[in-house]
Amino acid sequence: MSSTSQKHKNFVAEPMADKAVNALAGIGDVLGQRLEDKGFDKAYVVLGQFLVLKKDEELFHDWLKDACGANAKQQKDCSSCLKEWCDAFL
Amino acid sequence: MASAQLTDEELFSELKRLGVTPGPVTENTRPVYLKKLKKLREEHQEQQRGARQSKPQSKTRSAALNNNSASPSGARPAGSRPARPGRKSTVLGFSSDESDAEVPQKRKGLNHGARAGKGSGLAPSPNTRHFPQISSAFASFNDAGNARKSGGGGGGNPAPASPRSASLSWGSRAKSTAAEEDEANNGESGEEDDCDAGHGHLKARSLNGSRTSHVGAVKAKQTGEYSDSEDDEAVAAHQEPPRRVGHRGSYVFKEVKASGPDMIPLRRDELELGPRRRDPISAAKPPGHYNFSSRIYSENHGSDADTNNHVPGREAQDGGVYSYASSGLRPRYTVHSSASSQTHRGNHSNHSTPSNHSPRAPAPRRPGPEDELLQQFKREGETSASGRVSAHYLSMFLLSAACLFFLTLGLVYLRMSASDRDVTIRSHPFGSKFDESYNETERNLILDLLLSLHNHLALVAGDFDCGNQNLSRSLSLEETTVYLQMHNEKFEGFFMVSLEWILKTAQDVGIRLTGAEAQEPLSDVSEVLRLESTHPRMPFSCRFRRAFFTVIFKVLLIAAVVGGAWGVVSYVKLRWRREEEETRRMYDMVERIIDVLRSHSEACQENQELQPYLPIPHVRDSLVQPQDRTMMKNVWDRAVKFLSSNESRIRTETQRMGGADFLVWRWIQPSLGDKSSLASSKVWQGKAFPLDRRNSPPNSLTPCLKIRNMFDPVMEVGENWDLAIHEAILEKCSDNNGIVHIAVDKNSREGCVYVKCLSAEHSGKAFKALHGSWFDGKLVTVKYLRLDRYHQRFPQAQNCSAPLCPSAEPLYSATTSCS
Repeated sequence: MSSTSQKHKNFVAEPMADKAVNALAGIGDVLGQRLEDKGFDKAYVVLGQFLVLKKDEELFHDWLKDACGANAKQQKDCSSCLKEWCDAFL
Repeated sequence: MASAQLTDEELFSELKRLGVTPGPVTENTRPVYLKKLKKLREEHQEQQRGARQSKPQSKTRSAALNNNSASPSGARPAGSRPARPGRKSTVLGFSSDESDAEVPQKRKGLNHGARAGKGSGLAPSPNTRHFPQISSAFASFNDAGNARKSGGGGGGNPAPASPRSASLSWGSRAKSTAAEEDEANNGESGEEDDCDAGHGHLKARSLNGSRTSHVGAVKAKQTGEYSDSEDDEAVAAHQEPPRRVGHRGSYVFKEVKASGPDMIPLRRDELELGPRRRDPISAAKPPGHYNFSSRIYSENHGSDADTNNHVPGREAQDGGVYSYASSGLRPRYTVHSSASSQTHRGNHSNHSTPSNHSPRAPAPRRPGPEDELLQQFKREGETSASGRVSAHYLSMFLLSAACLFFLTLGLVYLRMSASDRDVTIRSHPFGSKFDESYNETERNLILDLLLSLHNHLALVAGDFDCGNQNLSRSLSLEETTVYLQMHNEKFEGFFMVSLEWILKTAQDVGIRLTGAEAQEPLSDVSEVLRLESTHPRMPFSCRFRRAFFTVIFKVLLIAAVVGGAWGVVSYVKLRWRREEEETRRMYDMVERIIDVLRSHSEACQENQELQPYLPIPHVRDSLVQPQDRTMMKNVWDRAVKFLSSNESRIRTETQRMGGADFLVWRWIQPSLGDKSSLASSKVWQGKAFPLDRRNSPPNSLTPCLKIRNMFDPVMEVGENWDLAIHEAILEKCSDNNGIVHIAVDKNSREGCVYVKCLSAEHSGKAFKALHGSWFDGKLVTVKYLRLDRYHQRFPQAQNCSAPLCPSAEPLYSATTSCS
């Protein structure tokens, strides 16, 4: 818990409901826009992708890089955010 | 393998073959999986390149072995295990296929089987069965992480190079710690490829296998059995090894950090498959249920008919392996982390070179796997013990050498100081005149006289000094004359002359001439009465004893001085500390008096009937417990003195109360507006925000909390404000009986307090109670800490398990009722 951002904490604290994809840790405005253009307009769609990749963080990193050009830190933030969310709510 | 041509299904199956458990291949995941496939394929290429030269038979064998081993390796990626039940069938299908053309497929199938088949992989073709399987099995056990690179290399080629690479791959496999499942899968697939490559695989594999199974008593046994194989009698023996191998596998797994429990069932499966596999294997009727290694070896025998050329190699390897297994494998394996393929290479070469079969045959039945483990540990212990012993010896040797050196030095010194024994006085201190006056013989005579005189006197003096106090230290003239006469008659004539010369010379020749009065310098020979030596010669023991005593004495002296100094310093420190303590208590007392007086004056204001002053003795008696009064007398007196001199708000008067004159204190400060400052400032003052999921974790994560902003270290005064903080926390969480350790970080700027609770549940409750509350005007925040970090920081908290209770007086929850 010591090294997670506020965004991460906010996201993981409750069910994501209809949160925008910007609400994911590591995904800001630019990346969020790119993801939305690809069709991932809500956080739960990205979650779906994560789950489809069987919650494998590395594969998710690759996918995220392809999908919106996230760098390593952003990939990691996003995947760990989703993973933690899954641990808490799935 | 153009990835563009693959459909989704093909991609999926391709990935599966390589050991990955892919999720659905959709348009989104396609590129990711393509990349992954590419990566895997590259690794396979590497492996295959290395394995290219292996003979076909070994290939098949290795394939079979891969299958077998694959299953154990399948065990390794425990997660993937349940996912691949279907592999078994493919593996089984391959088992009897020996053609090279089908080998690649078999390999794949084997890989799959290995991966998926926790137990199913054993069915593969007889040829490829044992060695590759075992090796691959082991490889998978050990860690497919490196296997990707190495397995491929090791697998295929029967050529000598390939065993090396295989061993490399194996070694690296073994070495690498648990890699991800993907990697493990990849490794397995690589292995399968290798198996196809040929005998080299087998060799490598077997070696690897043996290496991996360095737990290896079984191996030895198996070698023995191998030599006996083809007999049904060995079947019983084989029964054991499978079990053991299973254990071994588990051990191997443990070492490799594989999933131990997974392995055992795998083994069992393999065991079951063994007989099945055996049947189609060869006419040689290898005995039944070796687990991998035994199978390999028996298979070797079985395959003798097929691959005669392999057998010798294998045997050699086996022998070598066994010898190694018995000797050095374990230590190597125990060093898991070393990813050095060199070691493996070395091992491999070692294995291949000794082709002695002797270790095989007489290899005794090792006891069970536990004993194998023990032996393993013993070997480690031995190696380490030997290292330790040699180090120990070395240190002992150095120590003794140093001691000897110093001893010799001391002896030499002593001997030197007990000097000039045989110094022939050819050089004398008498000057050139002496030489001129007398001729050679006379000179020699005189010198000899003096020498003997000197020695004799020295002995006498030494005797005297050493404790034999009967004689005097010096000799009288007559005694000297007598002595000289005894020695040499000619001496007498020259006696006086020599004495003259002694007198003439200014130097000390070692003989002192004394006259009637001791101190006067002599001018003439006639005055000489006594002779004394200035260089007494003492026997060695006496000398040593004196030296020893001197040294001891000096050391004691120094120690006494140091001890005295230290004693003085510590005494001074003690006094100083006591003074400090006294002063502190005095101030404490002063504060209490002031409080009492102030409260009394306030009470007086409300209640006009009370006297506005308090007699001093009354105050004392109310503040100090009766049993402490004598002890605190000193403190009290100092406090009173302090108050009278330093405190302006209290006036000391004499009043008549109840007929007696009392010294009283009167509080003369007008009522202050700052009552709040008097009241204890540390109180809980309510909650700032309600705790909901947004600002707190939904579930408590750890039993340790870090509370921030409870105090300001700069502003804190007093001695025990941290205890006050403790109390405050305990009071706030008084309904929660789970707090076992509190630590206030006095130096933190943020005002941090660390709390450990009995369990995460308790900490969750404490979190809810504390987070977001106001304390002493500051907003307190709480977060969770990792337990191990907490223990790192506060090791004493590891053992705390008794819940702390707040002290009786509720002091800090002033605004709320005490819960």
